[in-house]
Amino acid sequence: MIRLEGVSVTYPGAAEPTLRSVDLNVAEGELCLVVGPTGAGKTTLLRAVCGLVPHFSGGLLEGSVTVAGRDTRTHRPRDLADVVGVVLQDPAQGFVADTVEDELVYAMEQLGLSPGVMRTRVEETLDLLGLVDVRHAPVRDLSGGEQQRVAIGAVLTAHPRILVLDEPTSALDPAAAEDVLAALTRLVHDLGMTVLVAEHRLERVVQYADRIVTVAADGSVRSGPAAQMMRESVVAPPIVELGRIAGWDPLPMSVRDARRSAGPLRGRLLAAVAPVARQAPRLTAQLTASGLHVRYPRSWAVRGVDLEVRGGEVTALMGRNGAGKSSLLWALSGAGRRSAGRVLLADGSDPAALGPAQARRRVALVPQNPLDLLYLSTVGAECRAADSQAGARAGTTAARLTALAGPLDLASHPRDLSEGQRLALVLAIQLSADATVLLLDEPTRGLDYDAKRRLAGLLAQHARAGGAVLLSSHDVEFVAECADRVVVLAGGEVVADGSAREVLTASPTFAPQVAKVLHPIELLTVAQVSAALAVTA
Amino acid sequence: MHPLAWWSWALGLTVAASRTPSVPALGLIVIATLLVATLARGDGPRGRALPGFVVLAAVVVALRLTFYVVVGIKTPGTVVLDLPAVPMPAWAVGVQLFGPVTTAGLGTAAVGGLRLAALVLCVGAAGVLTSAARTLRTLPAALHELGTAVVIAVNVAPALVAAATRVRKAQRLRGLPARGLRAVPATVVPVLNDALEQSLALAASMDSRGFAGTRGRRDARVVPLLLGALLAVAVGLYGVLDPSTPPWSGPGLLALGAACGLLGSVLAGRLVTRTSFRREVWGTQASVVAMAGLGAAVLVTVAGPGPGAVATLGALAVAPLLVSLPRSGRSAA
Amino acid sequence: MSPATSLVPLARRSGVALGLASGAGLLAFCWPLAVGAQSRLAQGALAPVVLGGVLAAVLVVLHLVLAEGGLDVKAVAVLGLLSAVGAVLRPLSAGTAGIELVFIVIVLGGRVLGPGFGFALGSTTLFASALLTGGVGPWLPYQMLAAAWVGLGAGLLPWRSRVRGAPEIALLVGYGIVASLAYGLIMNLAFWPFQLGSGTGLSFVAGDPVAANLRRFALYDAATSLGWDVGRAATTATGLLLLGAPVLAALRRTATAGRFAPPPPGAGIS
Repeated sequence: MIRLEGVSVTYPGAAEPTLRSVDLNVAEGELCLVVGPTGAGKTTLLRAVCGLVPHFSGGLLEGSVTVAGRDTRTHRPRDLADVVGVVLQDPAQGFVADTVEDELVYAMEQLGLSPGVMRTRVEETLDLLGLVDVRHAPVRDLSGGEQQRVAIGAVLTAHPRILVLDEPTSALDPAAAEDVLAALTRLVHDLGMTVLVAEHRLERVVQYADRIVTVAADGSVRSGPAAQMMRESVVAPPIVELGRIAGWDPLPMSVRDARRSAGPLRGRLLAAVAPVARQAPRLTAQLTASGLHVRYPRSWAVRGVDLEVRGGEVTALMGRNGAGKSSLLWALSGAGRRSAGRVLLADGSDPAALGPAQARRRVALVPQNPLDLLYLSTVGAECRAADSQAGARAGTTAARLTALAGPLDLASHPRDLSEGQRLALVLAIQLSADATVLLLDEPTRGLDYDAKRRLAGLLAQHARAGGAVLLSSHDVEFVAECADRVVVLAGGEVVADGSAREVLTASPTFAPQVAKVLHPIELLTVAQVSAALAVTA
Repeated sequence: MHPLAWWSWALGLTVAASRTPSVPALGLIVIATLLVATLARGDGPRGRALPGFVVLAAVVVALRLTFYVVVGIKTPGTVVLDLPAVPMPAWAVGVQLFGPVTTAGLGTAAVGGLRLAALVLCVGAAGVLTSAARTLRTLPAALHELGTAVVIAVNVAPALVAAATRVRKAQRLRGLPARGLRAVPATVVPVLNDALEQSLALAASMDSRGFAGTRGRRDARVVPLLLGALLAVAVGLYGVLDPSTPPWSGPGLLALGAACGLLGSVLAGRLVTRTSFRREVWGTQASVVAMAGLGAAVLVTVAGPGPGAVATLGALAVAPLLVSLPRSGRSAA
Repeated sequence: MSPATSLVPLARRSGVALGLASGAGLLAFCWPLAVGAQSRLAQGALAPVVLGGVLAAVLVVLHLVLAEGGLDVKAVAVLGLLSAVGAVLRPLSAGTAGIELVFIVIVLGGRVLGPGFGFALGSTTLFASALLTGGVGPWLPYQMLAAAWVGLGAGLLPWRSRVRGAPEIALLVGYGIVASLAYGLIMNLAFWPFQLGSGTGLSFVAGDPVAANLRRFALYDAATSLGWDVGRAATTATGLLLLGAPVLAALRRTATAGRFAPPPPGAGIS
């Protein structure tokens, strides 16, 4: 269905090819998962398949790409619309129309289909993707998961035989991601579509994949059946890593598989884990909220939250989209709306009363979209501006950035950085005034495993130095890795607050894969499992 | 309701308002326009634009009166307000400030203002009564691409406003001032960068969804026809303005230009095989609304300013209400 | 230095069309100076209806020529987004002393992305803004054409591919001042007879010698809208000084990243 022969792609001005002599053959009806570190060329591979490389992006494409028998050399992306549907990252950016229905018909209108055919296909697609209830709603008012499904529907109406998706679940909460993935598996199983999907969050997708394609940093590509590829893959979801250290064969791809092989392991661990004594260290509160309310014109976002953010620990804020996580973080920082209640710092002052310049010396908030903070044209200029705004010694921010992200070219444009590097830059800027309390709103969006590991290390370091960290995240595996304490919000109220171990293992939605496999043993990560095994050995 | 029906109605009333010599007729047109626009408009921002037009119309009348009082040439008549005339220096020949204000002068100024106010209100009402998205759908098929650009602009604008608010909030976290000149680039640049990045993502998404995929055929007749149309209009406009040209030349050439342009547009539209899901249908209601406007224009041209004609004009102007009142919660626009 | 980008290329036929349409447009703007006393347009209030209608039709036909043979998809998307930026800036800036931030986007867009794009950007921005605010009035075709000229002129300024930095900003600021003053002047000229009416010392008199009408118009303009226009020119200049460099950089970055110069068919593939 998709055939790449000796494909190399070199972007204009680039010294090295982004993809290097790629041979790939994806058969009809396969769900093929593309994995690899950020910047390795996953997106380039997907774009080559739908003709956007090189017709849209420019650059040199060597070799040949054939999709459903059409050569992309002679077919522009628009000439492939009826065989390849492509949903790029952040679907909201690709919407042309106003309402869901109009968005669904856009491709069909361009192809010149008759209104009767359009009518039928719109109904089919609405049913298939569960969008009937929002058919007349404005696309920009929908939730992330619904938008993703509308974007999929908008290409499905052209009846393509291949669907290409770039990180369809990265920005979604677990429940919305499940909806999108369920829709995808339905397309593969019921309609026999061929699906090519790139995704960082392997733990979500790997169980559905028939074939895995890994793109290495040097642009070389390997592919094979999922289970076989996972055996030696550098990046792997926790469940596969657990299978590796437990020596399971075949390697489990889903929680169900793993749980069936996990009996003996649970037995060994039960002995090792039970004696762990829970000592709650006495930590000082750096930020205390009491009776905090945030009200928007139509609804309450936060309702009576009492919360202590303590120095020396990393606290994760979890909950569905719209549970009030962002509003709470902004209210705590003093910069956001607060309708009632008190927020006090360790020295008894209120960050909202301090004024922005003073408040950021105590509390730093990294907003959901780090780019909102950046307005200069080079990384170096941003660092210098941050130094002068914070009254810090020249070079402080740049030095911190190097510590966080390794050496970066200070002359590069902030928007040319990878997601992880952007986050590091904004963290460095926000920490330039040496705040004790660090608040982060969804910091893991778009980060690969490596970047998440760096972030976790950094947060731990801030906490070890006595700082307090509060972050909101949907990423249960990341929270399991880095958080000491988890607070769950629902409908603007705190519904659970406790150690990460207690809260995460008790919740079906927020439990990490390892906890699901090993339940009722309270272990969250592969590292904890190996540590426990080392004790028993 | 087909958006062009409202535009025809408004245009007809505009012509009537600009040609009728009768003051009651003008008043009726203004009242009828307001009545129809208020009762038949939909919800949403465009519906809320009506008060703005009313204010603008009032300002137009007030301005005319002010101008008359301040710099008007004061003709003899019943004096209402005897202001002393202020002589002006030699370079302002023919201008005299103030002077006796007469009822006749005020009346002329008010009627002139009312006429312009009626024009503003008629066109404004059409804007209020039609939805932007649906008006754009009636653009010629060959203008589809530029129409798409405008559709995108209209759809994206609210998100940009939200983005600007978000960015300003975020900038405060950094300790940047929220006001003042330095805050402007800090807000505008991230929003603009986001918009530009989005435009590339959007272009990729449109391209791979077959954007204008069937385009590329050419018709050699289109460009000459369109250029001919522009030439005819340019010359025709001159003919209309300059009375020394033959009287038929202006309107004749304008009509020729319109015909060429229409033909060129139709031929260009045939090359576009794009279809549309929601075709605007021209129903009986649309005919009634459009005929009401057309009727008003014709009536003013052929009939005198008699009371019968004025009453008929008023009836025609409000006729759209018969077919367009919102029913069962559905907007009529 | 890379050659200057032209996102909406102007072929010879587009140039001819722009010339003809601009001729018709100039007549429509300057009609008070051209109209004879016996012309039917000189009577009543027929002129704004006829001229506005003709101008709207001219704009449609002109854009048909510009778009003939298809516009690049990137041009459409960038046009849409930049029009939205302009349309959002417009209500933010209106009302206070004639501040028109919208010109900044149009001037800078025309400068970086070429005269054809600048022209299209001017008209789509004003159109989108009118649709968004419900501000569709008889003045709309006039505003669209005048703003389109501003964008076209910005694209036609010299040294597009060579001059950068302070000299470029100075050039653009100078152009911005001239363009916003001219915009105010011709808009005022076109609507002078309607705004003022007849029978005042500053009024338009159909068929009078051009010099006499021009003198009255100059007095009228100085008395009514000059202050406004100077305010608008000052804002445009300040805005260009403040935002010129970063916005030009952002537009040029996108022009490079987006590969706006479309490769000839078959190129880029070996």
